[in-house]
Amino acid sequence: MAGISPNGAPKLSVRAVEKTFVNRQGVVSALGPLDFEIREGEFVCVVGPSGCGKTTLLNIVAGLEAPDVGDVIFDGKPVLGPGPDRIVLFQDLGLFPWMTVRRNIEFGLRLAGLGRVERRKRAAHYLRMVHLAGFHTSYIHELSGGMKQRVALARALAMDPVMLLMDEPFAALDAQTRDMLHAELQEIWSGTGKTILFVTHNVREAACLADRVVTMTRRPGRIKREFVVDIPRPRQIEDRDVGGLAARLREDLREEIEAVLLEERRRAKER
Amino acid sequence: MPRSVNRGLFYLAALAAWQALHLWGPWPSFLVPGPVQVAEALIAGFADGTFLIGIAVTMRRLLLGYALSLVLGTVLGLLIGRVRWMDDTIGSLLLGLQTLPSICWLPLAIIWFGLNERAIQFVVVMGAVLAIAIHTSDGVKNIPPIYVRAGRNLGARGPRLLTGIILPAALPAVLTGAKLGWSFAWRSLMAAELLFVSLGLGQLLMVGRELNDIAQVIAVMVVIIALGLLVDNLVFGRIERRMRRVWGLGAALPGRARGRRAA
Repeated sequence: MAGISPNGAPKLSVRAVEKTFVNRQGVVSALGPLDFEIREGEFVCVVGPSGCGKTTLLNIVAGLEAPDVGDVIFDGKPVLGPGPDRIVLFQDLGLFPWMTVRRNIEFGLRLAGLGRVERRKRAAHYLRMVHLAGFHTSYIHELSGGMKQRVALARALAMDPVMLLMDEPFAALDAQTRDMLHAELQEIWSGTGKTILFVTHNVREAACLADRVVTMTRRPGRIKREFVVDIPRPRQIEDRDVGGLAARLREDLREEIEAVLLEERRRAKER
Repeated sequence: MPRSVNRGLFYLAALAAWQALHLWGPWPSFLVPGPVQVAEALIAGFADGTFLIGIAVTMRRLLLGYALSLVLGTVLGLLIGRVRWMDDTIGSLLLGLQTLPSICWLPLAIIWFGLNERAIQFVVVMGAVLAIAIHTSDGVKNIPPIYVRAGRNLGARGPRLLTGIILPAALPAVLTGAKLGWSFAWRSLMAAELLFVSLGLGQLLMVGRELNDIAQVIAVMVVIIALGLLVDNLVFGRIERRMRRVWGLGAALPGRARGRRAA
C-alpha cells in the first residue's frame, strides 16, 4: 500500500475515519470512510473539490476535532487531542492581534515551559528563517498579508513539531508572494526534515510542493487516487513537469468538481 | 487648533449666558447663582477641606466597589460566555436583573447590612457587576473561533486558554463593559449617598440643599463632573487608545485588519 515506507512504520495512519455534521438538511456525511498513511519526512498534498472535507481531515489529524468513526495513529499512539508534535498552519492564520510578532511566536513556547532566554533565541531564529528579523516588536495589523503568513509559519516552526499541518495557507495571497513562499517552504522543509500534510485546492501548488499528492472525492470526501511525484527539486510552479502533473490532477478531479457545480446549481434552483 | 478654539469660544459663551441668566433672568438671582459665586463656593469648599474629604470618601467607596465588580463581573462573564449551562441559568438571571435600577437594591441592602459602608458597597456592586458580566460574556461569545483553535493548537488548555486567549481576544467588549460598569457604579453611588447620609459628595449635595446654598450644590456637581471626566480620559481613554493602536483599530486603518480576514 502506498504511504508505507519500506524502512519502517508510517508516521501517521488515518484508519477508516468518518465524520458527519448536523445542519439544516439533517445529518450530512462529511468525510470518509477514509484511509491513508504518511511516512516520516514526507511532504503530502491533499487536493479535492471545495467542501470535500479536506479541512475537517486536517483538524482531525491535529486533534482539534474528533472523528465519529475510525482512528488516527500518530507515532504509534492514537490521537486524542491537540499536541505540540502536530502544529497547524491555519488558512486564516489565527495570529493574535493583541500580541507582538515575538509574543505570538513565544506563546506556545511559554506554554511548553521554555525559559525566557531560550524563547527569545528560538523566536529570533525562526523570524530570521522566514526573513522577518527586525519585525519582532511589530503588531500583526502592521504587516502585509505575506508577512503575516510568514509569522504564522515561524510560529508553527518554532514549536518544532514533528508534523506540520497546513490548511491552504497561501490561498489568500497574490501570485508573486505565493511563489516566494513556495520556494521558502521547500527550502525549510528540506532543511528541517519535517513531515508535512498540506491541504489545498490548487493542483499546481500541490504538484509543485509534494512528494505525493492524494486526490479526494466530493463530499463525503474519500481518497480517490494517489500520485507519487518524482520531479526533481527545487521546483518552480511554472516548470513543465509540474504543469503536466497539475493537468493530470485536474483531469482526475474534473468529474468531482463538475458534480459539485451541478449540485450547487440544483440547490440554487430549489431555493 | 481650530477645534479647541471652537470649543473654548463655546464655553466662554456658555459662561456669559449663565452670568446673564443669573443677572437678568426671570428668577430671583439667589436661585440661580452665577459662575462667580459657584467658583467662590468651589474655592471655599476646597479651602476648608470639606470637598477633599467628600472626594476621598466617595472615591474610596467607588474604587472598592468597582474593583470588586470588575473581578466578579469578569469571572462571571467568562463563565457565562464559555459554559453553556451557566449561560442558560445565571446568564438569563443577570439579563433579568439588569432591568432593575441598582438603587432599588438600597432598601434591601439597609435591611441586610444596616446603615453602613457595606450597604453602599452592595449597591455599587449591583450597579456595576451586571454590565461588566454581560458585556464580557457577549465579547467571549463573539470571539472569532480561530483564536481558540490556534490557542489550543499551541497547547493552551483550561485556565491558560481563558486568560491567555479568550480574555484578551474579548478585550474590546470587556473594556466597553468596564466603562459602562464604571458609570453605573458612579451613578449608583451618588444615588445611594443622596438617600442615606454619611459623608461623601452625595451628602455634600444634600447639605447644600438643606442650607439653601445653591452655589455649593452646583459647585459639588462641577466636582462630580470633573472627576468623571478625569477618570474617563486618564484611565479608560488611555487604555482604549493603547488597545486601538495595538489591534490596529484606529480610525486611519479600519479596512486593513478586517479586509484580510474576509479574503
